[in-house]
Amino acid sequence: MKRPDREPLSRHLLITLTLLLVATVAPHILHLQGWIIGFFLASVALRIASMLRPKLLPGRLLLFVLAVMGLANVIVNYPILFSGEAAIALMTSMVGLKLLEIHSRRDLYIVVFIGYFLLATQFLFNQDALMVGYVIVLTITLTGVLLENSRHRPSNHPIKTFGTALALLLQALPIMLVLFIFFPRLSGPIWFLDIFERSGTTGLSDSITMGSISNLVLSSKIAFRVEFKDPPPAPPLRYWRGPVLWETNGKEWTRGQPLSYSNPPQLHTEGPATEYSVTLEPTGRRWVMVLDLPDTIPHQSKVLGDFQVLRREPIHDRLRYSASSRMRYNTGQITPPERAQGLQLPDNITPRIRSLVQGWRSTAINNQDVVNLALGHFRNQEFYYTLRPPIVNDNPVDQFLFESRRGFCEHFATSFTLLMRVAGIPARVVTGYQGGEFNPLGRHLVVRQSDAHAWSEVWLQGSGWVRVDPTAAVAPERIERSFEFDTALGSDLLGAPIRFGNIQLGTLANMLKQLHWGMDAINASWHRWVLGYTEERQSTLMSMLGLDFLKGHRMAFAMVGFATIAVMLLGTTLWHRGRKRVDPVYADYLRFCNKLKRSGLARKDIEGPLDYLKRIEIWRPEIQSEANRITQSYIHLRYGQTNNKNARRLFHQMVQHFRP
Amino acid sequence: MRLKLPEQLFRVSRSDPQGRVKIRPRQIYILPTRYGFIFGLLLLLLLIGSINYGNNLAFFLTFLLAGLGIVATLHTWRNLLGLELSAGTAEPVFAGQTAGFVIHLSNNRTGERPGIQLQLRDQPMVATDLDGNLRGSLKLHRDSGPRGVLPLGRLTVSTNYPLGLLRAWSYVEMDASCLVYPRPGSSRPPATHSNYHRSSGGDKGVGVDDFVGIRPYRPGDSPQHINWKAVASERGLQTKQFGGDRADRVWLDWDSMQGIGREERLSRICRGILDACDREQEFGLRIPGTEMPPGRGQNHRHHCLAALATYEGPE
Repeated sequence: MKRPDREPLSRHLLITLTLLLVATVAPHILHLQGWIIGFFLASVALRIASMLRPKLLPGRLLLFVLAVMGLANVIVNYPILFSGEAAIALMTSMVGLKLLEIHSRRDLYIVVFIGYFLLATQFLFNQDALMVGYVIVLTITLTGVLLENSRHRPSNHPIKTFGTALALLLQALPIMLVLFIFFPRLSGPIWFLDIFERSGTTGLSDSITMGSISNLVLSSKIAFRVEFKDPPPAPPLRYWRGPVLWETNGKEWTRGQPLSYSNPPQLHTEGPATEYSVTLEPTGRRWVMVLDLPDTIPHQSKVLGDFQVLRREPIHDRLRYSASSRMRYNTGQITPPERAQGLQLPDNITPRIRSLVQGWRSTAINNQDVVNLALGHFRNQEFYYTLRPPIVNDNPVDQFLFESRRGFCEHFATSFTLLMRVAGIPARVVTGYQGGEFNPLGRHLVVRQSDAHAWSEVWLQGSGWVRVDPTAAVAPERIERSFEFDTALGSDLLGAPIRFGNIQLGTLANMLKQLHWGMDAINASWHRWVLGYTEERQSTLMSMLGLDFLKGHRMAFAMVGFATIAVMLLGTTLWHRGRKRVDPVYADYLRFCNKLKRSGLARKDIEGPLDYLKRIEIWRPEIQSEANRITQSYIHLRYGQTNNKNARRLFHQMVQHFRP
Repeated sequence: MRLKLPEQLFRVSRSDPQGRVKIRPRQIYILPTRYGFIFGLLLLLLLIGSINYGNNLAFFLTFLLAGLGIVATLHTWRNLLGLELSAGTAEPVFAGQTAGFVIHLSNNRTGERPGIQLQLRDQPMVATDLDGNLRGSLKLHRDSGPRGVLPLGRLTVSTNYPLGLLRAWSYVEMDASCLVYPRPGSSRPPATHSNYHRSSGGDKGVGVDDFVGIRPYRPGDSPQHINWKAVASERGLQTKQFGGDRADRVWLDWDSMQGIGREERLSRICRGILDACDREQEFGLRIPGTEMPPGRGQNHRHHCLAALATYEGPE
């Protein structure tokens, strides 16, 4: 007979384990090289095939060859072997091979452990609540596999096994919380071997073409969250400033040569400053989003002459910062380089563009009038605001102005800016976000990628740089409130007009919206207290709990202490659970017997209550009446019909007062 | 790996007067299995990774798994705690055969106790899953060794449940034994003093060999034995009686075998008993200090063999 851990693995368990492993690796498909995933899937396929045809199971030699191949595959695809990604690739390859090598119960442990490891690595790429749920479900099921494996025979109720796994993990939860809260956090990494590229990070870029923002707004990903110190500004004033674009080649707008300023920009402001703090999702770029126009800026960042705020390093981690802005301002005089940049024109200005601008110039008294005429043109002519504008040709501005007349914010902003430049008014394109939804539960504003926006700034004598949003002229609803796309409905059609939200919402939609807000509030706290639980926040929490004397090693002691308490509480609960409950009447009778035993008259094992009573009457005649009463009521209560609460209590008291 | 510790350091559960053993908290040992150590290594790896990447969710999972390991310790310990064992009867065996001890396990808890393992020293492990409030039994095998009384010896009750990361075990000693008969001699005993006696009660018409007479039919008599000739001649139903079985009696006598050693003698006598049983002979046993009057049947066989098993007399 074999040792229990050498016994063959049951087929069901093997299939379950294989499927769980595939599910564990699945999210890595997005991050790992195709060859690694291919190797893993080939191993899994071979495993499944060999379940049907055991002959296909590779022998030792072939496994060795496969292992060498797998290792070579990792080395070729990940030349930096000691990086995190290489480790994940290696684990993924090896766990696939290990599946082929499972013969007995003991082989399963390694596979489950690597499964746990791979689950933890998922969080390096994705920290969504959804991913957390996914990992938790897989942790429960992998634990269930361990449970099933340490039984002698497979359980009759596999679902119950997973219930037990869940129970175990729930019992582990207090310990986990204690460790999580008290484990001393370090501010920096131990070693810098690689930085996980936040691939696929969506956000504004430093250039736009017609169509780039309309692609971005399809994403409902959160760009940043804002908490205002005071009531937030009205929706039409929520312009979040990002990259400012100066230079165009007729198709694309870019930042151009950075302008050098001798002095920091002069800002004449009126009214109070708006103070707020922002939690910015990682962008991989340096822009820090601020409300138009920034007054005080966050640490480790600088403000440029065109009021872009740049951080020193690209933002790869969620960033929280405070800033203040002014709603009413005057930027003052323009510098000559600024004027030159603000009037730069591409070489594809068509005659009809020039004649359009000439028409405005001839009727207008000043630049202000030209701006108004241009806005009026957008408003009064057949221009449409649409998410899916027609595809543009080599001269998108000309095509947009005179032919398609359907466009998104960037079409309006870039065309308007170009028209102003043609008219001799310095102008620039500003990209950023507009609006945002106020979450009443979390008391914060949520700005999503779908709020991405582009607008214009023109320089007018006496007012300085003035924000002009041509989109507002065409679709004022866009500025009044955030819009939500119903991508399943209509918007996919080319040129279909956009429907704005908040207008006719049914009860169900309202409930969904409430739910949505609730989720977002949870998400914000999640970000604040879980994902962003840093050294600083740990000390904040400690002082909130009145435990700020816990520093350094004391914190570690506290962790061990609290964890011990949690374990002891759990141990006590487990000790008492499931034990047979003794009938209280019987327990009282036993106490009566014990009292007599101490006085030297122990009940024999074979003696019934009545026989014992006889002996008591012989040996201890002085207590016989009391012993008689106790014994008689015990017999009545335990074997008779009368068994009410009062009689039981009376019996209890009799035993209590019995002094032999 | 078995630690050779001084006897007094062992905490052993011993049976109470009723023959039951209840595993008490102080008698449970617990240590991580090799997978437990690998799991610890995994936790360390995860912790280093979490610290390095400052990833709080990875911390979450690491600490959750650490908590799981700690919780598993309690559960592994609890899986043995309060388990009751008692030894069942062990069927006697002949020397050289494998003795089988039945161990009853009873779970007095509403929850199940899966993966309970029992092991005798150097013997294979046996395991079972006990459902809530149920009894189960396992059979432990052990080489019988020489004739005599084979004690069960110290057994180990252990469990790896729930996660296999830890092993809890307890040593149990119970008053259980198995009787080991002598090894039967290789051949029929050549010099058995075969003491054939004509059985006085042998010819009572209950045999099948020789015709002995006729008696009136009684209900229940075999139709084959009915005297059909008599029926044909209208003499009524008569039954033919047969008898003459060799109802001989064998004496297996210590003194009839001279010049061989004690164990060899016992072996031969043992073989004699088995042969006698095979031939359905009546047999008696005579060894120094003991005399078993002739008899038949399983009980008689057992008593005789037991007398041989426990023989302590002269050579």
